[in-house]
Amino acid sequence: MTSPSDVERLIQDTRRYEFGDGLRDIQMAIYFALSSVAVWLVFQPFWVTLLGDLVERYGRGAAWPGILVMLIAPLAVIGMLGLMNFVRKRWLWRESGMVKPARWIVPRRVTVLSVVILLAGLAFAVFARRQGWVEDSFILRMLWTASGWSFAYTLISMGREIDLDRYLLIGAIGGLLSTFLLFLPLTFAVAALVFGLSWGVLLSISGILTLRRAVDARTAGE
Amino acid sequence: MADEIKDLTKIDRLIHEPSRLAIMAVLSACESADFTYLLNTTGLTKGNLSAHLSKLEDAGYIKIVKRFKGKYPNTLCSCSSQGRRAFESYWKQYSALAQHLEQ
Repeated sequence: MTSPSDVERLIQDTRRYEFGDGLRDIQMAIYFALSSVAVWLVFQPFWVTLLGDLVERYGRGAAWPGILVMLIAPLAVIGMLGLMNFVRKRWLWRESGMVKPARWIVPRRVTVLSVVILLAGLAFAVFARRQGWVEDSFILRMLWTASGWSFAYTLISMGREIDLDRYLLIGAIGGLLSTFLLFLPLTFAVAALVFGLSWGVLLSISGILTLRRAVDARTAGE
Repeated sequence: MADEIKDLTKIDRLIHEPSRLAIMAVLSACESADFTYLLNTTGLTKGNLSAHLSKLEDAGYIKIVKRFKGKYPNTLCSCSSQGRRAFESYWKQYSALAQHLEQ
């Protein structure tokens, strides 16, 4: 019961518990998808024209939808948190118990290094532009690519930290897809959309498959 | 005598007890866990778990919040910063000793 490996298993099981039902993956997928749609929408001429028309017709207050659209993703995340809590309390975790995860799943050096990856990517893009190797839009696309690398690194580190292989796979595929963005002739807004939807699809597939397994296990136990 | 063996005399006996070690391991890995989770992961009986939790709380290693969720009582346990330090130090000593014995 209390050999070093038993204690380590207890620690790992508890750290993994939060990610064992896939709801976290679905929450991240929703965040990525909605944020990318919001960024894409804000850069669309029809959206800017629509807001301009509304302001002209109904006054400044009509500009609020423009601001609210940027809040949809954070609000959805908060809503999802409430829903996750409800589903877990009432059903998924009712028998196995509730756990509030540690604030930092990965060591601080991983967080610092993920920021360094993002900044290094952007610095390289600016350098390459100054050398005349690439065009302006490369820097904007690099914003998404470097964000993808940074998130992929965090996900892979988390997978290794808590022994969850699915995060190694999602991180590797997501990092690769983010790299492709650099070489596609996309505008900033479309690159944002492709970036968010790619991560969203990857995470939602992982989340749904994990949730299905968790539901099957829960149903079998009833 | 190896340092690891000498350190054995300084080991935290409160945490060294197997059931309390399991409780501390679980609580050190999260922000908080409820009584049901601890019951399932440690495999202790309700009475035993309560007794061990009280001992750890008296030592200042864990914090216990008792509340009602609707009609049902809910006990939430979390590791205090003192408890986290004590567990980390214990775990270092214990791992070093286990490694020494394996050699």
